[in-house]
Amino acid sequence: MQKVGIVGYYQVKLYSDANYGHYEMIFEASRGALDKAGLKKKDISTVISCTNDYYDGRTISNCFTVEVGGGYMADESKVEMDGAHAVLYGLMRVLSGNHNLAVVWGGSMPSCYPYHTVRLYETDPTWERSLAYVNDITSAGFQMRAYMEKYGVTVEEIAKVAVKNKKNAAKNPLALKEAQLANLTVKDVLDSGKYADPVTELMVAPPCDGVAALLLAPEKQALKITDKPVWITGVGYNQDAYYLGDRDLSGCKSMNLAAKMAYNAAGITDPYSEIDVAELFESYAHEELIFAEELGFADKGKGAEINSAINGDLAINPSGGALGGNPPCATGLIRVIEAVKQLTGEAGQYQVKGAKKAVASGQIGMCAQNNILYVLEAN
Amino acid sequence: MSEEKVIVANKGLIRADFAFWVGQYLDKFYNGLENKKIRGNKCPKCGDVFVPPRKICGKCNVVIPLEENWVDLPETGTIMNFTTTPYRVNDRSSRKTKDWTIGMIQIDGSNTSIIYRLLNMEPEDVKIGMKVKIEWNESTKGDPSDIKGFTKV
Repeated sequence: MQKVGIVGYYQVKLYSDANYGHYEMIFEASRGALDKAGLKKKDISTVISCTNDYYDGRTISNCFTVEVGGGYMADESKVEMDGAHAVLYGLMRVLSGNHNLAVVWGGSMPSCYPYHTVRLYETDPTWERSLAYVNDITSAGFQMRAYMEKYGVTVEEIAKVAVKNKKNAAKNPLALKEAQLANLTVKDVLDSGKYADPVTELMVAPPCDGVAALLLAPEKQALKITDKPVWITGVGYNQDAYYLGDRDLSGCKSMNLAAKMAYNAAGITDPYSEIDVAELFESYAHEELIFAEELGFADKGKGAEINSAINGDLAINPSGGALGGNPPCATGLIRVIEAVKQLTGEAGQYQVKGAKKAVASGQIGMCAQNNILYVLEAN
Repeated sequence: MSEEKVIVANKGLIRADFAFWVGQYLDKFYNGLENKKIRGNKCPKCGDVFVPPRKICGKCNVVIPLEENWVDLPETGTIMNFTTTPYRVNDRSSRKTKDWTIGMIQIDGSNTSIIYRLLNMEPEDVKIGMKVKIEWNESTKGDPSDIKGFTKV
C-alpha cells in the first residue's frame, strides 16, 4: 500500500455534559489539529466528518458543520458510522492522488439527546423495533453471556478489564472525569449495579460529549509537514450479519477478518510479538477480550491471560480505551489518535516505552457488527 | 465546563410518522402470527431455516422464492442466550424499573434466534439450552406483539 501519513491530531476533553456548543467543540478539534501541525485553512484539500443524523437531530447534519469543521469551499463529505470509518474515507481520498491534506473529524454530544433511545433506531422497524427487546443494552448482556458460556471466562476476569482501563484513564487528562478511577477494584465493578446481566454499569463505555480530529497526508507531503509522521501501513474492515439471532456472539468473526486484511497489508505474521500497543474500541469490558483474541493476541477464551497493562507484554488501551469515555462518532477516531500518540512518544503518563508498531480499531452496530482495524507504524 | 447549564436548546420537535412496508415475506409471517402459527423459510442452497423469513439468504446471496420453501414450525424452542435488565428502552426514554428477562430463542427446526421476554421464570432459574414454548397474546393483530413471550415447557 502507498504510504499515507498521519500528520496531526486533536481531541477535546471529554465531558458528560460539556455545556458548550457542538460547533465550538468541532472547531476546537479541527482547528486544534491544524494549529498543532502548523497548517492553515488554505492547506486543507478535503474534509471527511463522522456524525450521525439521529445524534445530531437533523438530516444531512454535515451541511451545518461545513464552516466549523474546515470544509468551507473544500472537497467535503461524511461517514455515518464510527470516526475510525471516516479515517478510511479520508485515507481513500488521499490515495486517489488528488489531495494533499485530509481533515478527518468526528463526534457528537449525547448530553443533548437520549442515547439509548436513539440507538433503538438501529433496529429493524419492520420486525423488532416496536417491542424494543433488542437494543444496545440487552445486546451487551447477550454478547457477554455468549462469550462467558462458550469459554468458561469468569465475570471477575472481565471486571479486571474495566479496572485496568479506568485506572489507565486516570492517567489520561482528556478522559472522562467520571471514568478516571485510579483506585477501582474488581468488587467495585461487580457491585456497580446491573446493566444487562452479566454486564454491570462500570463495564460499559460511558457515552459522553466529545469531538476529535486527525490530519492525513500523502507520503511526500507528510514528510514536509512533520518529522514525526505515523504511517498507516494496513487497514481491514468487515461486516457481520444484522440480526443478533443469526450471529455467533461468543466471538467476533468480523474483527477476525478485518485483522487478517490489515495484517496482510502490513506484512504482520505474528501479531502478539510484532505489535507493541493496541487501542481498541471496546463498548463493554468483555469486548476488549473478544477483540484481543480475534486479533490473534491470545487463543480463544484466553484473552484475560494477556498481560495488557501499560508496561505489560502487549499494552491494550493504555489511554483507558472507550471505558475512559465514549463520545459517539469519535471513539474509534480517538483510538487511532491514541495509537499515534504512543508512536510519537506523546502519551505522557501512559506512554508505552519504545512503541514502534500499533493497531487501533473502531466499530459500529450492536455487538460490534462492523469492525475496522488499522496498523500504524512510527517513522 | 461551568456548573450551571447556560445553553438552552430549542427542542425543535418534528413529527414524522413512518409507515414501513414489511414486504411480502414478513407479511406472510405476520399472517401466521395472527393465527398463532410460526412459519419460517428455508434457503434453497444452504438449507438454513430463517425465523422471521427472509427474501435473501445473506450467506449464499440467493433469493428464496416467495411461493416456495416455507416451513411450518412448532411453537416450541430452545433458550440460546438471555439477559436480565432493569432498563426499558422505548421510543420515549430509557428508564430503570423492575428487572425483566429477555431471551434469544431458537424455534425448533430453525437455525436463527428471535428475541422475546421470558415469562414466569426467575432469572436464576433460566439456563441456556432450556426448552420453552410461546405464550400467545389472547387477541392477535398480525404483528410482533402477538407473541407475548416464552414460558418453560
